[in-house]
Amino acid sequence: MEDQFKIAVIGSGPAGLSAAAHAAELGLQHVLLEAEAHLSNTIFRYQKGKYVMAEPSILPLRSPVSFGAGKREQILEKWNQETGGLKVNQRLRSEVTALNGSRGDFTIKIADGSIVKAEHVVLAIGMQGNIRKLGCPGEDAEFVQYQLDDPDEYNDETIIVVGAGDAAIENAIALSERNKVIIVNRRDEFDRAKAANNAAVLKAIADGRIQCFYNSGPRKAEDQAERRPRGVLVLNTASGEVHLPCHRVIARLGATPPRKFVESCGVVFPTPDPTSLPAVSGTYESNVPGLHIIGALAGFPLIKQAMNQGYEVVEFILGNKVEPADEPLLRSKFGSLPGFTSVDAALDLVQQRVPVLAPLTRLQLREFLLDSDLRTPQQGQTIFERNDYSDSFYSIVEGQVEIELSAGDRSRTVTLGPGEFFGEMSLISGRRRSATVRAGQGCVLVETPRRSMNKLIYSVPAVKRVVDEAFLRRAILANIAPDAPPETVAQLVSSASVLAYKPGQTLFREGEVGDCLHLIRKGSVTISRHMDGRDVVLAYVPAGQYVGEMALVSNLPRSATATAAVATETIRIEGEAFKALLARMPTVRERVQESYKTRLARNVAALQQPERGGVIGFLMAQGIGEATDVLLIDESLCVRCDQCEKACSNTHGGLSRLNREAGPTYENLHVPTSCRHCEHPHCMKDCPPDAIKRAPNGEVFISDSCIGCGNCQRNCPYGVIQMGVEDKNKPSLWRWMLFGGREPGAADHDHHHHHGGTPKKAAKCDMCKSLPGGPACVRACPTGAARRVSPEQFLRVARKD
Amino acid sequence: MAAETSTEPTATVHQGFLVLERFRYLKLASLLCVLAIVAYWWHQPASGPGGGTWLGYTLGTIGALLILWLTWLGRRKRKYASRLGTVRGWLSAHVYLGLSLLVIVTLHTGFHFGWNIHTLSYVLMLLVIASGIYGIAVYARYPSLITANRDHGTRDAWLAELDELNEQSLKLADALDTQAHQVIVRSIDRIRIGGGLRAQLFGPREAVRKAFARVEQELGETTSFMASQIRPARGAAAISPDAHSTVMFMAGQLASSTQDNENAQKLLDLIARRRDLTSRINRDIRLHAQMQIWLYVHVPLTFALLAALIAHILSVFIYW
Repeated sequence: MEDQFKIAVIGSGPAGLSAAAHAAELGLQHVLLEAEAHLSNTIFRYQKGKYVMAEPSILPLRSPVSFGAGKREQILEKWNQETGGLKVNQRLRSEVTALNGSRGDFTIKIADGSIVKAEHVVLAIGMQGNIRKLGCPGEDAEFVQYQLDDPDEYNDETIIVVGAGDAAIENAIALSERNKVIIVNRRDEFDRAKAANNAAVLKAIADGRIQCFYNSGPRKAEDQAERRPRGVLVLNTASGEVHLPCHRVIARLGATPPRKFVESCGVVFPTPDPTSLPAVSGTYESNVPGLHIIGALAGFPLIKQAMNQGYEVVEFILGNKVEPADEPLLRSKFGSLPGFTSVDAALDLVQQRVPVLAPLTRLQLREFLLDSDLRTPQQGQTIFERNDYSDSFYSIVEGQVEIELSAGDRSRTVTLGPGEFFGEMSLISGRRRSATVRAGQGCVLVETPRRSMNKLIYSVPAVKRVVDEAFLRRAILANIAPDAPPETVAQLVSSASVLAYKPGQTLFREGEVGDCLHLIRKGSVTISRHMDGRDVVLAYVPAGQYVGEMALVSNLPRSATATAAVATETIRIEGEAFKALLARMPTVRERVQESYKTRLARNVAALQQPERGGVIGFLMAQGIGEATDVLLIDESLCVRCDQCEKACSNTHGGLSRLNREAGPTYENLHVPTSCRHCEHPHCMKDCPPDAIKRAPNGEVFISDSCIGCGNCQRNCPYGVIQMGVEDKNKPSLWRWMLFGGREPGAADHDHHHHHGGTPKKAAKCDMCKSLPGGPACVRACPTGAARRVSPEQFLRVARKD
Repeated sequence: MAAETSTEPTATVHQGFLVLERFRYLKLASLLCVLAIVAYWWHQPASGPGGGTWLGYTLGTIGALLILWLTWLGRRKRKYASRLGTVRGWLSAHVYLGLSLLVIVTLHTGFHFGWNIHTLSYVLMLLVIASGIYGIAVYARYPSLITANRDHGTRDAWLAELDELNEQSLKLADALDTQAHQVIVRSIDRIRIGGGLRAQLFGPREAVRKAFARVEQELGETTSFMASQIRPARGAAAISPDAHSTVMFMAGQLASSTQDNENAQKLLDLIARRRDLTSRINRDIRLHAQMQIWLYVHVPLTFALLAALIAHILSVFIYW
């Protein structure tokens, strides 16, 4: 059977749904293909009653299908109604297995063997990928499910969990509290899971709380609606077939990422990085003519953007020019540009003036500039100060800026002109600004936030190359050879390479021959020596500093081992090139020798106090190596009054972001569970509305545009983010004293559980940035046990200028 | 700019409330005391020293205002968003200025004491100060004791582990025989954690060590009976009646024997771990209780003092 359509839409998420609905509205021959048995699978799989947000609120919606913030059920029901009303030609349970051809003649193969022909294809399959199913008869039976919202929903059931990854283990353990749980593992180990989960599941199996079938896989699932329990899962095991009666089967087998399929359609991804996305034109067309990509797969993860693109892509296919939904926003942004005529002209100007943006497609540029801000600072105005924690990236469109190289010395400056950029140092290292920048005459700048810039770096290799090279050159100039002539620096740059290290990986070992110098560009490193059968940590070296020069200066083997404390990137400079530099530039040699002497003396001093090394070692093991500000409690002063937690809760709507008691202790030094404001915050990694920001003083905070998706909570390795609802009513002190009730600062458990349908949002430490005088936890500590410090402060980093 | 960096952990990141700002409030309080003493020595009223002279009124007013302000700490520490100094600063001032009352108010009395409301106020104040001094002492000593006892654990983790040990020992005892099972059930019932105020402050009525000694003794008898059945030749009847050595003897005997005995050995290990945990938890509770109890004296006495103080001031103005 072959069907012929003008437009085939693959994927029925917000983007695909909107495209198909618009095609139906226009009366075009179209088909909407969906792999699942229902529309919009990603939102369908949200937990029951989840509140879906409609960010960004400034963007208008243009789609025949309506959408506003609301509960998952309401949104899905409305979409089903409206697509029904528009007579959208949808084909559910139609997984696309292959897509070939180009404009005018596409052939789409469906899993059931049928073929669909289309002139144009709109690919809107998102980034979630297809859930792996049981892969046996009965995999769609009613008692088989592929997710688990709330383990507490099930009591006294026999539940079979299929899978051996983290999700399967976590589900099985949570369910085993009140149910009989059987876990089915295709192999004989759980070693794909995190170490903690692996240990926990093995223990649960040893204790008999969970029964496990190793080397087993499902053969079929039988639904017997009239029996109790209704399901039977038949397993193939090493010792033959086993029939397991059960109430439900929960299969957690992961998902296949969409990239492979997309590549098989002929679409090219710019880099092998897993975050890389295919490039599309201003009309959402990919490198395959006639194949359009919209939604999350094109880099637009928000529902409203995706729905707008669904509308626009159909218009583009028809050859109509549509003013993009973001046009008015861009117009208001560029209105202040001197000599502004139209958005297109302004985009041309920016792209022409700023070479780093030249390789961008029109759509990427629009998105990039939509996230960015146009700045026209007065001459002499400070753009950012040295030691600020801002991390945005600036491109110069017109005029120039002055970069002040050493603090407070206005005479030593570097001037950058149109087309150049700055701010890449803090963007890459995640550390404070290394210099103050002031605006020159007639300055027009584009300021881009960290996330948009990182997205660009990961999806356009040319941008990454240019930014990396500039970083290398400037880092060498700033840290190693400030007065070196350009050709000398160029020589060093050509010998340099960027290396990445995992936490715990060594850069070099004690006793090795020193053949290079590492300039740390991101992360941090500990220096240790092996003594009396154990490693003694001598020092902690943050990003922006170098290690390994000692062996080059002294021509002796490495005197210590350098280990990455966290994920670290270094710039490796070859020993020969460095020695040549020293020979040529006596000022550099003097400075390096001076620093060599100081380091040597410090290392000797540190060796005499191995217990201090113990403290550094302990803190590094707690991930302090990537922290910018951490709460440390001196337990010899802490009277366990929990004033810190109460203060946090009281100043943040009854929701404490700190757990004093949890966390490790070394001697009397305790690291409670509380945000460390990492240099490269893990929480920022995947925030759809880009709600997590860093303030100039370094605090990482979550703004009101949070949509409550919980990604940050999952991404934080330190467990300091929680989902909750803030309570605006503060308990009164006098009422508590006279009539009892809730004490100020006491946790409000009632409110936490009954928040009357208000959506939960992510909450984390914001360092009380709205209160003058610093974080409330520290100010409320009666004995001085709680202090927030930066690791450099704590480890007393002495910088010798 | 050279990129020289060195790192050295400093032990002085934290500064306790007593040493705050180089003893700023100790100096202030000392100054106040010295001024009061000098004024008292210099001032020689005809009627003799007392609350009724101008100096007496001055010292009394200073003292009363100080007491009100010291009480205000309770409010300040609950005003978490307050930017009026840090709580640590307040506490530091509270301690030293509170101690200075000993001098100021004593001089205010002019050493006139009797069975009246005035001396009652004075005595109440002394009690409040005494409880406060006790507070400083426990705040200096107990935090380190708690940390040492914690040994990297948390109370929640301990309780969870205890539950699990209970469960495991029941399972093991079940496999052993019914008598052992009963012993374990009884022992689980007998373990006391926390309890009332007395138990919290001084530990449970029956010491953990004693309670476990009984468990071990009973269990030792059960398992020794079994062991004697397995190997009557060894003559297990010669076991000393002392509970501890029974266990040790049993452990030694059982370790090298059959399946059941291995289980009995495991059970003894579990019980030893349980005893250790229970002692730790109870010690943790006791240390916390002993560290906080003084506040339950200090605060009510403060309110009693305020009431007496009002009565004292009113009576002075009405009847004097």
